[in-house]
Amino acid sequence: MPVAAIQTSKLSKDYGLGHGLFDLDLTVSPQEVFGFLGPNGAGKSTAIRCLMGMIRPTFGSAHIFGLDCLRDSVAVKRKVGYMPGDMPQFGSLRGREVVAYLGGLRGTIDPALVQKIAERFDLDLGRRFREYSSGNKKKLGIVLAFMHKPDLLILDEPTGGLDPLNQQEFYRLVNETREAGATIFLSSHILSEVEHVCDRVGIIRSGRLVKVAELDEIHRFHVHRMELEFAPGTEIPEAAIRSAAGVEDVVVEDSKVTCTVKGTFEPLLKALNGATVTNLASHEPSLEEVFLTYYRPDAPTEAIAR
Amino acid sequence: MTAIRLALRLGQWGLIGFAIVGFIATFINAVAFYAVAGHTQAEREAFAKSFSQIAAQLTVLLPPAMRLDTVGGYVQYRAYGSLVIVFSIWALASASGAARGNEERGLVEVILASGLSRVRALAAHVAAFAIASFVAALAASAGLMVGAIAGQESFPIGPAIEAAVLLAAIAVSCYSLVLLVAQLVAPRMATGIAGAVLLALFLLNSLSRTFDSLHTLRWLSPFRYYELSTPLPPGGNFDVTATLVLVGIAIVAGGLAALAFQKRDLGSALFALRASARPPTYEPSRALVWRIPIVRDVYDRRLGLATWAVGVSAIAALFVVLTKTIVQPLLSIPGLAAYFAAILHGPIYQSFLSSLWFGVAQLLMAGFAITQVGRWSAEDTDGRLDLILSNPVSRTRVVVERALVLALGALIIAAVSGVAVGLESHYQSIDLDGGRLAQASLMLVPFTLVFAAVGALLAARLPRATVGILGIFAFASYLMLQIGPLFKLPDWVQNLSAFKLYGQPLTEGIDRTGLAIMLAIVLVGFWTSAIVMQRRDVGA
Repeated sequence: MPVAAIQTSKLSKDYGLGHGLFDLDLTVSPQEVFGFLGPNGAGKSTAIRCLMGMIRPTFGSAHIFGLDCLRDSVAVKRKVGYMPGDMPQFGSLRGREVVAYLGGLRGTIDPALVQKIAERFDLDLGRRFREYSSGNKKKLGIVLAFMHKPDLLILDEPTGGLDPLNQQEFYRLVNETREAGATIFLSSHILSEVEHVCDRVGIIRSGRLVKVAELDEIHRFHVHRMELEFAPGTEIPEAAIRSAAGVEDVVVEDSKVTCTVKGTFEPLLKALNGATVTNLASHEPSLEEVFLTYYRPDAPTEAIAR
Repeated sequence: MTAIRLALRLGQWGLIGFAIVGFIATFINAVAFYAVAGHTQAEREAFAKSFSQIAAQLTVLLPPAMRLDTVGGYVQYRAYGSLVIVFSIWALASASGAARGNEERGLVEVILASGLSRVRALAAHVAAFAIASFVAALAASAGLMVGAIAGQESFPIGPAIEAAVLLAAIAVSCYSLVLLVAQLVAPRMATGIAGAVLLALFLLNSLSRTFDSLHTLRWLSPFRYYELSTPLPPGGNFDVTATLVLVGIAIVAGGLAALAFQKRDLGSALFALRASARPPTYEPSRALVWRIPIVRDVYDRRLGLATWAVGVSAIAALFVVLTKTIVQPLLSIPGLAAYFAAILHGPIYQSFLSSLWFGVAQLLMAGFAITQVGRWSAEDTDGRLDLILSNPVSRTRVVVERALVLALGALIIAAVSGVAVGLESHYQSIDLDGGRLAQASLMLVPFTLVFAAVGALLAARLPRATVGILGIFAFASYLMLQIGPLFKLPDWVQNLSAFKLYGQPLTEGIDRTGLAIMLAIVLVGFWTSAIVMQRRDVGA
């Protein structure tokens, strides 16, 4: 059995007052694209910084390709390409000098690959870093992470600030890199991004991993947006619909009813109690809707873990 | 008011730090006066007479002294002569930070987006600095008054407040001048050019006391208007007109800065060269320097390093030029000849350069170390260290490389300035021992590394507070050198000062004990720093 690209066990970083990361048990297989999903402050960057050995976990351990992220941090980083959430300041250095500087630290980079990626994203490496827009700084971050053909890419919110065309280019680059044999771990709060590229998704909430699912599995979550249109003159059984198990967000407008259904349709169908429905539509939820449904601050943690 | 409060909040550590420095500087000097000037009027007059003769020859650098037989006169000369420089440096750092640093961090954009006009934003910074500098100057006045009480005397509050007003006025005028310069030039050069302008204005006034040709130009320097008042000694004066001129300079320069700020783009200079059209580049730099450890970091800092090397060398050459001008009249005073014979060893000019120039050189090198350590802290807080450590580089290697880069930088500055001293001495027909000059210059390297080692330890543990604490350490270390002999502190206490450990290598050769202690501090400091670095969270 191949060694896991990423393996964490009870990985915790407690900042007090309930902030931090708690008991993260996660396994990412080689050549997998894993999305780490959660809103701001959920603990995504904390987990990534633990993996990169920037911060010491309060408890637990993290391994990359079997190497301890703290004890073997130098060896780990030979295998990893990292893109931070915010690019640091490089002042008046030109893009090509930043690449050469960090490439020099690493020892080996492939200038042809740098050129290829820079051209792909139309990133002019001749300009000074301080002249770069936020999008260009992100592009430079992409070049720095991918330039040495790492076995594992750890990318913290990589597409923030990129325009849609460059986002699409980035997704293509991720897919090609995976096909070339690399593993990719990317954090995001943009669900569509995860939908585009990930094989599996971990959802983190208040520092705790609440769900790890295949993308298909998330799509199969039983959350549906329903639209029902009743025949003219039909008395709408509104009270019964509202009280049906799993039915939420009921809006009645003339002869139309819209609602969200979690779980099976049976309670809703029973609530209709023979009323004439002339039109019934069910929308498959996007990942965004799934996320929002399960991820509301008031939703119990267990809800998504079912 | 909100903008002023925000500006004060952003500069609160500067205010606290410089208030402490001001208080300690005047308090220590007041206490020192009572310790060295004697207790009877006759003793104090004798002290003042001998001290005045020395002070008269140093007017090329420091304002003339008056009534050195009183605590007011002594503190005016000893403390306020330095405080005006210290407050000018504060104004430089604060104004360049407000004008350019905040802009680079995106803070100015956010503030302007809130609906505040550019003029009001700039005015808020000037107002906040005026408040801060006045509070810090009041702390300096308080130090004098407390020191006088410690000497069983009292000091009138009126002159103390006048001194505070004066100090705040010169600080604010410097602040506005820096703001103005910062609008005109590229962000990366703002601090350097503004610093050069302030230094030129300071030297213009100082040198005009010796060189008549500069008399007609000295009205251009705000420092001239500062020294027209001497409020602290009995019989001194507070020149209201000159003080108003300082305020006027602040208003005019601030107004011009606001005008320039309105005319320019954020992030650009008012006068920027248009970038020439060129095709985009997609290749990384293939320069060899980026592939060689240590060299790549020195190359990255090349502009700042060149500025330091040229600046320190220029000041060194200036000291050599002034040596004979200052020393020859002193030698003609019979009473001082015996004094010099007692305290100076070896050739007179060599001894003078050893005491005066290498004393200043140590201060400058401490400043260099603080700026480099400040960069380490910034690397930590702005995320650059994160990116460095995302490469296969151990934290220990980061600490070691930082130490070596700083040592190489210090060596370059020391070597270039040493050559400048040697060449200018030859030109001025001052006979210097080349070997000793080399030793004295090279000793500046371990001296600089002492501050760097302490800074490395602080940067590994408290990156956000490093520069402030290291600045206080340097100040305390220098103060220890000054007050140690006055208060007859034990040798081991005086040896806590890095300035003492440096010794007098130009005249007495290398103090091997001092060198060994310095090297021990450097090794222990960086070694401990590496251990602390291993155990801490980066960027947290």
